[in-house]
Amino acid sequence: MDRTERLLDLIALFLDAKEPVSPAELREVFPDYGQCSKEAFERKFERDKSELAELGVNLDYQPPGNEELGGYRLRDGYYLPEVSFTPEELAVLFAAGSAALASGAFPGRADLGHALRKIAFGAPGGPVGGSPHLFAELGKATAEAGARLETLWGALLARKRVRLSYRALGRDEQTEREVDPWGMCLRRGVWILVGYCHLRQAERTFLVERIARVRVNDERLKSPDFEVPASFRISEVAAEQAWEHRFHPPVEVELQLSAELAPLASRLFPKAAVEAAGEGARVKVVATYLDALLRRVLPLGEGAKVLGSARALARFREMAEAVARHHAQPEEPR
Amino acid sequence: MSEARERLRRLLLVVPYAVRHPGLRVEPLAERLGVEPATLRDDLDKLALVGRPPFSPDDFIDIYVEDDRVFVVLDQRFERPPRLTAPEAAALWASAQLLRPAARTALASAQEKLFAAVPESAREPFERLAERVGSEAAPMDELLEPLSRAAREGREVEFDYLAAGRDKSERRTVRPYAAYLHRGHWYLAGFCLVRQDDRLFRVDRIRSLLLTERTFRERKEVRAETGARSGVSARIRFSPTAAPWVRERFAEQAKALPDGGVEVELQGATRDWIVSYVLSFGGEAKVVEPAFLRDAVGETARRIVAAIG
Repeated sequence: MDRTERLLDLIALFLDAKEPVSPAELREVFPDYGQCSKEAFERKFERDKSELAELGVNLDYQPPGNEELGGYRLRDGYYLPEVSFTPEELAVLFAAGSAALASGAFPGRADLGHALRKIAFGAPGGPVGGSPHLFAELGKATAEAGARLETLWGALLARKRVRLSYRALGRDEQTEREVDPWGMCLRRGVWILVGYCHLRQAERTFLVERIARVRVNDERLKSPDFEVPASFRISEVAAEQAWEHRFHPPVEVELQLSAELAPLASRLFPKAAVEAAGEGARVKVVATYLDALLRRVLPLGEGAKVLGSARALARFREMAEAVARHHAQPEEPR
Repeated sequence: MSEARERLRRLLLVVPYAVRHPGLRVEPLAERLGVEPATLRDDLDKLALVGRPPFSPDDFIDIYVEDDRVFVVLDQRFERPPRLTAPEAAALWASAQLLRPAARTALASAQEKLFAAVPESAREPFERLAERVGSEAAPMDELLEPLSRAAREGREVEFDYLAAGRDKSERRTVRPYAAYLHRGHWYLAGFCLVRQDDRLFRVDRIRSLLLTERTFRERKEVRAETGARSGVSARIRFSPTAAPWVRERFAEQAKALPDGGVEVELQGATRDWIVSYVLSFGGEAKVVEPAFLRDAVGETARRIVAAIG
């Protein structure tokens, strides 16, 4: 009997058991357990038990009572409860889930696939699919990129330290980093790994596409290498704008938006202070990467003006003039 | 995750699915389970060996294929799937975050149900994991919820649209096909009654949205890469400073130039999009051709310079 069979047989036994199953009974009914020493049985059973726990099947030991012998039983039940998602809820979960699966660029794809199959189980009608009216398109990832995300997902779940070979942008050299993976997010179409970088001794973000290689610490796989700070929220990292990358000390930039642009202010510059000014709006944005902010302002056209600081305005003028120069009309032939 | 564990996890779903869909053919059953038909056949052979003590004939799972159809006689109580594990629920939740700006209401109610489907001992790990994986959620529910609803129900919408690089917005009437997320931006694809053509709109540039009672029937399947676009092509040159980013984004489409910069041929973009894309490089990009686009970028830049004063 192979291990897969034994584990399934164990589940079948516990699903049917009306009373806790004692270790002695287990040894009696499973030759694999009975035909070895007590110590070997205990080790083997512990390993099986933790394998089952990975599948969400938890066995608890119940000590002997007045009437009963001590033994194991299923904790928390086994079966997926009847969950009645509405068609709309299912459509959203499947639209998002199938986009993630189709792209190959989503961490935890195996887990996601199983979750979708489980929640689809109770759904009435035919196979559940996504929605043609609401979807996400993540683009196709290479098999290598998908595998890297999957490795990081595993490390994130088990809280294991990873060793990254990280490429710097535009350079061939790589740095080796030891990182505690706190979280991951998709930001402007790009996967970001956030964690504690032991090289820099601080929280750092890494673009997953710049990770050339990743290796998970394989020592003591069952015990986590780190704790995630209680205050950590991936949503804050995900919401970070390009001009909020911490490259420079913060500067406050003041913008004047036209009447046409003013209603879009909070979408264009989330987190900025917006107040009505004349027909339009005045916006104050804090930037730690000034050029990124100005590059966001330029495409807004003449409806967006930089009022200050003086340095921001000078840089903005420099950029606008450079674009104008590059696209100058050829001089009239004399 | 090891292959053996992956298989075990799958096997726990095979019997429930076969019980729920008695007599379903191998292929559609395999499809529902996300495996190849041959793999499912192997799985069925394996399951026939599973049983419980004392392992008399009636104690085994009895599952078989007849005329390509799968039947279960004895399920040995494997009639429903196991509960969701914390990583499964977290992966599902993380993917659902993609569509949150468009379906906040539906997801809020789904979250509670999902929570109930996770065993008590896994709820805290699930919640902690959910704080660790996610995606940006643009604050646009007031637009995306009605837009996706309009697409679903086939209702016309009206809105003011400020196209990129334009300084005046324009009222549009649109028959929406779909709202979708692509590279961090939300788009609305639909038939524009003003332009009498398929158009793509950036949702963050829509305002004063009105969901009308006027319905329509014609639908179109939309995909981001084939999205409704006017199809202008342009050659754009990037400076050595911008080159590393461009290479990362365009890979082999970015052709190296002698000065260390790169050149990219963009296809199927709109005029307005190219203008704002080039501007967003702040002088590190320039349109080589076509001439009308070069002029459009230059014109916008000159107006910006003039406005600075």
